[in-house]
Amino acid sequence: MSTALTILMALAAVFFTGATTVVQHDKPPANRRNFIACPIVRDTKTMPCWLAEYEGELYYLGQQGSSSSEFYPPQLNHEVLVEGTVANEARICGGIPLKSVRISVRQELNRACNTLLPAEDGLDAPPAPARRPVEQLRQQGAETDGREFIVPFDFDSDYLTLHTTRIVGESARVAKAVNASRIEVMGYRATTWLSNGQKFIEAASIAERRAKKIGGILVGLGLLPAAVSVKWKSEPEPCDGVTDPEKRRVTIKIVP
Amino acid sequence: MKRVRSQRNLIRLVVIAAIGLGLFAMILRRGAASYSPQPLSWIEAGAGGTLPAEMNFENLSGKVGILNTSGPIEMKGHPFFEPLGVNPRGCVTCHQPANAMSVSVDALRERWRVTKGEDPVFAAVDGSNNPMLPQALESSHSLLLNRGLFRVGLQWPPRDRNGKVSQPEFTIEVVRDPTGVNLDSTYGLKGVNPTVSVFRRPRPVANLKYVMSPDDVFNIKTGTLMATDPETGQPVGMNLMADSRHLTLKQQAIGAYRDHQEGRQGLSSESLQKIIAFENQVYVAQSSDKWGGSLVEPNGPIGLGPRAMADGKIHVLANNNRDPVFRLFDSWKKPDAMPQELTAAQREFRASVARGNDVFMFRQFWIRDVTHINSIGLGNPIKRSCSTCHNVQMTGQDLAPGWVDVGTTNYPTWTEPPVFSDKAELPVFKCTCDKVAPPHPYLGRVIYTNDPGRALITGKCVDIGSIVMGQFRGLAARAPYFSNGSAKNLRELVDFYDRRFDMKLTEQEKQDLENFLSVL
Repeated sequence: MSTALTILMALAAVFFTGATTVVQHDKPPANRRNFIACPIVRDTKTMPCWLAEYEGELYYLGQQGSSSSEFYPPQLNHEVLVEGTVANEARICGGIPLKSVRISVRQELNRACNTLLPAEDGLDAPPAPARRPVEQLRQQGAETDGREFIVPFDFDSDYLTLHTTRIVGESARVAKAVNASRIEVMGYRATTWLSNGQKFIEAASIAERRAKKIGGILVGLGLLPAAVSVKWKSEPEPCDGVTDPEKRRVTIKIVP
Repeated sequence: MKRVRSQRNLIRLVVIAAIGLGLFAMILRRGAASYSPQPLSWIEAGAGGTLPAEMNFENLSGKVGILNTSGPIEMKGHPFFEPLGVNPRGCVTCHQPANAMSVSVDALRERWRVTKGEDPVFAAVDGSNNPMLPQALESSHSLLLNRGLFRVGLQWPPRDRNGKVSQPEFTIEVVRDPTGVNLDSTYGLKGVNPTVSVFRRPRPVANLKYVMSPDDVFNIKTGTLMATDPETGQPVGMNLMADSRHLTLKQQAIGAYRDHQEGRQGLSSESLQKIIAFENQVYVAQSSDKWGGSLVEPNGPIGLGPRAMADGKIHVLANNNRDPVFRLFDSWKKPDAMPQELTAAQREFRASVARGNDVFMFRQFWIRDVTHINSIGLGNPIKRSCSTCHNVQMTGQDLAPGWVDVGTTNYPTWTEPPVFSDKAELPVFKCTCDKVAPPHPYLGRVIYTNDPGRALITGKCVDIGSIVMGQFRGLAARAPYFSNGSAKNLRELVDFYDRRFDMKLTEQEKQDLENFLSVL
């Protein structure tokens, strides 16, 4: 059954019954680009641009920044998992920009990933994004009433970036401020639905590693070990090709 | 008349000859005093005497200044200057004021010559290539005499902070052992107490308020909590040692007493207190240059000289053009605008230093495949400058814990010969990483190295070859450079970076960088 026909049938079902219907695709939505590729770095007159090619098209991922930048660039000598949505905007550095792009560096070496391009007239990087104030960073990840925090991770990674350490630090601060009786840490592993239809599942141990790491840090930040419960879900989260990066996470729930 | 005239002529000749000889002697003395190593500047442990509040010691580039902010130090009975262990070494033995509180190869060679190898600095335990070698032979101390390297024997597998053996992510094999110590049945990897011996330079015991300055609660290099001082619970800087194995000055002093002085009785709390107090008040920087003249004069660069070190602010991230790492050199940028009393050579030298500062701060190149720089979210490569990594104001260390694999110890970028050489002096280890452990980000799971560096402490594959970057002050007084003493002089240091990162520095840029580094 074609994707278009599937969508039509689903819309009809919603129209006639009023019920929510899950639309089944054999691939992620058409405007998503979830793929693994060698990254490409292109020099410019200012900051270098990061690009990746998928099915003969070049996509713009982001530009070099600093450790406090929102975008953490890929690495040559490593493949990268790209997850993003095609933006209907002008090309940047020769590539189609992706919105809400998430980058996960694959840890194994691939020396074929070694493309460094020189600067070209007309292929310019955008202005450097303004640095985000620390206060804003602290708010990142805060959910609901500020008692649950979500710590996102790159695919197959338990590395905490400058941003995500701030989230963990803030959760510990809140837990102390409300004199929490319990802090519930829950680790998850996820699946990414690649644009070619393949399902790409995180390592079996990653949810446990993430949860234990965050639990250890919370105790290290002064929370009572007995008050910190650390659990993880071994089964990978289901994928939809859109929100998959959000499911690679640890939640920290503060119970007053 | 003729006789009188001839007598007068003779007197004239004698006077002229005497003046000439006097001048010649003055020139010789000035030359020797100014720019050759001074054997007498070596301080022996237990010798006593007073260490003045301010001192200037000559070196090949000019003079290094030492400032004791607490005033003159009586060395007699002071635990930094007294032998405390089994061997007759004191802390001062390897941390000489004349060598910017480290020790230079020139000074060590001179010491060998003067004492015929009997100086305690050559103690078998770590002042020789291998304690089992005949100690009277110069060749048994070649790494110390040629590269300023002391043996550092580290237990393998490593212990955690509580002394518990931890399971490393990689195995180590000794694949070349020129000194014989790593395959020795007593001292080696297969001995009763398995030990890996690496060879490293001693770091300057000075300017420590910068070196010890802690960063954030989190360690940006690992994404985990920063290590803490076990006594205070407060985060520590982790930039003291090449492998960051000791976190505090107290731990370092106890470790040095045990490992370098072969102390067995333990240091008293009073001794520890005195050692730490001395270390925290001593500042070092080059104070004058043989070409550029005084480095500490009114309206000159504000970051030079030991007083500037004592007065500077700590923990300032300075990879910017507003207030750069070694402050501003604007007053040295234009030779025409400099004071008239300076010679043309002095002006040109100062302008060269100012250009060198600009190269250090702003000359961009591709920083590539450096673990704990490129691998922590910045991207690989990044288009940046030297000051990206050497970013702390006044010392040029890293604001975060500064262990990086810049490539000095790991094959193929290591500083040793790129192809087999029977003259190679350093050991070669083969590290094989566990299949499930995160690999070294740029070398994979099998790494050949002269020194696994930080990984000998953490047991992590990702840390193999990572060395904590050292401070930049008093460089002219303490050659050679890099943790493995591979750069004999500042030009060789610059050349390594030029090759490693394909910087394509011009000859002028190299000279400017060299001059810049020599005045720090």
